[in-house]
Amino acid sequence: MPRLHLGDWVDSGVDWLVTHLSWLFDAVKGVVEGMYDGIDAVLTAPEPLLLAGILAVLAWWLRGLVAGALGFAGFALIDSLDLWEEAMSTLSLVIVATVIALVISVPLGIWAARSKAVSATLRPVLDLLQTMPSMVLLIPAILFFGMGVPAGVIATLIFALAPGVRMTELGIRQVDPELVEAAEAFGTKPRDTLLRVQLPLALPTIMAGVNQVIMLGLSMVVIAGMVGTGGLGGSVNEAIGRLDIGLGFEAGLGIVVLAIYLDRMTGALGTRISPLGRRAAAKVRPTVWSHRPRPAVAVVGVVVLALVAGGMGVFGSNPGTAGASATDVGKGEEITIGYIPWDEGIASTYLWKELLEQRGFEVKTTQYAAAPLYTGLATGQIDFQTDSWLPTTHAEYWKKYGKQLDDLGKWYGPTSLELSVPSYMKDVNTLADLRARSAEFGGRITGIEPSAGMMGLLKDKVVKQYGLDGYRVVDGSTPAMLAELKRAYARKDPIVVTLWSPHWAYSEYDLKKLKDPEGAWGAGDGVHTLSRNGFAADHPEVGAWLKDFSMTERQLTGLEAQIQKSGKGREQDAVRTWLKDNPGLLDRWAPVDGAGEKSGAAG
Amino acid sequence: MSSRLETDHLYKVFGRRQDEAVERLRRGADREELRADGTTAAVIDASFTVDPGQIFVVMGLSGSGKSTLLRMLNGLLEPTAGRVLFDGEDLTALGDRELREVRARKISMVFQHFALFPHRSVLENAGYGLAVQGVPRAEREQRATEALRLCGLAGWEKSWPDELSGGMQQRVGLARALATDADLLLMDESFSALDPLIRRDMQDQLLTLQQTLKKTIVFITHDLNEAMRLGDRIAVMRDGRIVQNGTAEDILVRPADDYVASFIQDVDRSRVLTASAVMDTDLRGDEADCDCATANPDTPFTELCAMSARLTHPVAVLDARRELVGVVPRRRLVGFLGDEHGEPTACGDPRDEGKVTARA
Repeated sequence: MPRLHLGDWVDSGVDWLVTHLSWLFDAVKGVVEGMYDGIDAVLTAPEPLLLAGILAVLAWWLRGLVAGALGFAGFALIDSLDLWEEAMSTLSLVIVATVIALVISVPLGIWAARSKAVSATLRPVLDLLQTMPSMVLLIPAILFFGMGVPAGVIATLIFALAPGVRMTELGIRQVDPELVEAAEAFGTKPRDTLLRVQLPLALPTIMAGVNQVIMLGLSMVVIAGMVGTGGLGGSVNEAIGRLDIGLGFEAGLGIVVLAIYLDRMTGALGTRISPLGRRAAAKVRPTVWSHRPRPAVAVVGVVVLALVAGGMGVFGSNPGTAGASATDVGKGEEITIGYIPWDEGIASTYLWKELLEQRGFEVKTTQYAAAPLYTGLATGQIDFQTDSWLPTTHAEYWKKYGKQLDDLGKWYGPTSLELSVPSYMKDVNTLADLRARSAEFGGRITGIEPSAGMMGLLKDKVVKQYGLDGYRVVDGSTPAMLAELKRAYARKDPIVVTLWSPHWAYSEYDLKKLKDPEGAWGAGDGVHTLSRNGFAADHPEVGAWLKDFSMTERQLTGLEAQIQKSGKGREQDAVRTWLKDNPGLLDRWAPVDGAGEKSGAAG
Repeated sequence: MSSRLETDHLYKVFGRRQDEAVERLRRGADREELRADGTTAAVIDASFTVDPGQIFVVMGLSGSGKSTLLRMLNGLLEPTAGRVLFDGEDLTALGDRELREVRARKISMVFQHFALFPHRSVLENAGYGLAVQGVPRAEREQRATEALRLCGLAGWEKSWPDELSGGMQQRVGLARALATDADLLLMDESFSALDPLIRRDMQDQLLTLQQTLKKTIVFITHDLNEAMRLGDRIAVMRDGRIVQNGTAEDILVRPADDYVASFIQDVDRSRVLTASAVMDTDLRGDEADCDCATANPDTPFTELCAMSARLTHPVAVLDARRELVGVVPRRRLVGFLGDEHGEPTACGDPRDEGKVTARA
């Protein structure tokens, strides 16, 4: 069989699209971002409990008293878990994705219902969209739309499109042909036949499709979180990255609350707006529990609550921005920092977020997986990131994107990569010791993401040099590796894992780094700060600060420990506490001319 | 003013190479030959005329092409060949927009399974055609209410279709068709889905309405009894062709072929036949000279039987001018009931004839 170079064609196709249709993608991105920002602004404006009240009144109106009460309880729970902002961000994302998906899928479904050819053409396309692994679609989405919400929305809506189209088509095809014929026999225009007969009768099925679109969108949220959409998906990813089962559960629960609420509400909405549904609902005897306010009452309730919400937004304590001072170098300029949820990355990122905010910058931090992070940096959507291991571990990325990146220097080092075993593995001390004992370890080296630089190094160099042919390097993920380690450690099973220093696992478990006398892993890396091309020129002060930045091992582990202690979601508080305990660091790492003086004119 | 509706050599062929198929049909090919090529001839060379105020029934079994024929009359299906003339206007030459206009204003339709819109109330259903025409709400509701009243549904306006029985639903369907004041009513097996008793009611009601409204109606059915009851003229279809087109009596008394003849075996003749069909026109001239009761040509069969039972001699039939046009001997009545029109044959029994013929 000749090799079909399908992948190359796709590659060049994507490249061509990126270079030639960027105006189109920018336009789409603008629309998506605008919608998202608008909805998110509305949702996050009022006090959480007030918005929970508004959502509860909606539920009361659509489904009854019990639904209203449960809805309020659910949203209050989200608020009490400190996940309100994330939940609203996720809700906005799902709403935007759903709206766009419906705008596309309902007309497509109608078209498919009217033409067999269209239906036959659409079907395989929908299959492709629905079953193609979502990560495969995510990376091109980043190339087209950049990191963050637009890429997440596009990936979500592509995934969620199919049921919208299918259910619309099905709904319309299910309408009794005699009714359509009757409409035609009375001279109805095709458009009116669609609007007055087919769509109203197909509405219950279409609403089931809407429901599916929303549910699929929510299930996609976690994956979208990998491209920096934040929200509950981001929290889940972060929790997975840190093996934090508790946070993962809480964020997951938040998604479940949203899912149930949206599911019940769209279901009820289908009944409300479809004439047949209204008839069916009218037949059911009302009980106290299913009591629903009249639409007018519901509208009044929502409006009153919304007014209160708006009023509080106006009169409430808006943390006024302090007047410009000499230390206000940033003057509200925005800087975006991306990070991979590795401990030193989190610590340094939040450290810089705090430092820069102290200096008057608006800082946005977003977490990504490694590949999207480098893509985003290379395309200039991220300003800088602090966690690049060079020259060895991230060599692949540097090779691919180096030209589009600026290296702002090393701030920590040296690091090391290694294979580690629990210290109860008495006789295993060097890599060479592994060779004869593959049976004991089950012939497995538990690895991390196959995309990680150290995995390439391990497979290509280390295994060969030490003759570890009896082992299979098992690809997986960092959390999976850590979970496997935890399990084996608890049972005192033999295990050998890929690990690196600094890593919190060394303080958590009693581990042995296997010696590498032949230097197969290479000399240690330094942790570098990388920025997009030209960042230092745009922000000379920040560029200078980052170039001069360095941390000692004591400082880094101290900060990491503080963050671990404060718990998830309070990283910046931990940084503040830590800075308070280590005075002077702010001025050392982010020095300002004449700091504290009155007449510090900017030079 | 001659006919309201006329069809001129209508053909409808489904499948590939339709024009070629029509050509072959014109040259005498039959349905089966075409079917082998994957084309289906639904209607073949249908020509008929319907006069104003007439009920024209198209009768045939399922698959005979009668529903396809009906749908060509209002342009829901476009004929493969031939023309449909409605009030002298060629419907097949009209564009979509004009055709919709004709359907909205002049031709309405009643369906087999009622085809009521489940998401509209009875009143909204009845007023649907008017809504399509753009009639303002007040007038629309008033006319729809009136149409419902005509169909015996006064007071049900606010109900929903699924709350009504089948018969009542079809009354709504009828009201919907009548509300637009269309001249031509197409009824597609409209009463077939109803119980026998309800069906009779609906037939009676249609006939009653027709006496005052004088619509032109094309009625499709597979039930010959229904066809005979309703039809001023009946066209019998078989395998896409009209095999006979005539009055109920024509079909009953002079079936065009064995197929039609086999059809009419089950028909209740006593309900259809009148004196004019049964009477003997071979007259002596003095049959009406007594004072006994006489019949006219439209006297129904059952009444003739009753009269015959009271008389000792054949019933005389007089026309509108009291001229003698025929006589109905009792033997003829019995013969028609049994579908036996020949003369009695002689019998060997001595009771019958005075003469004795010895037999072994």
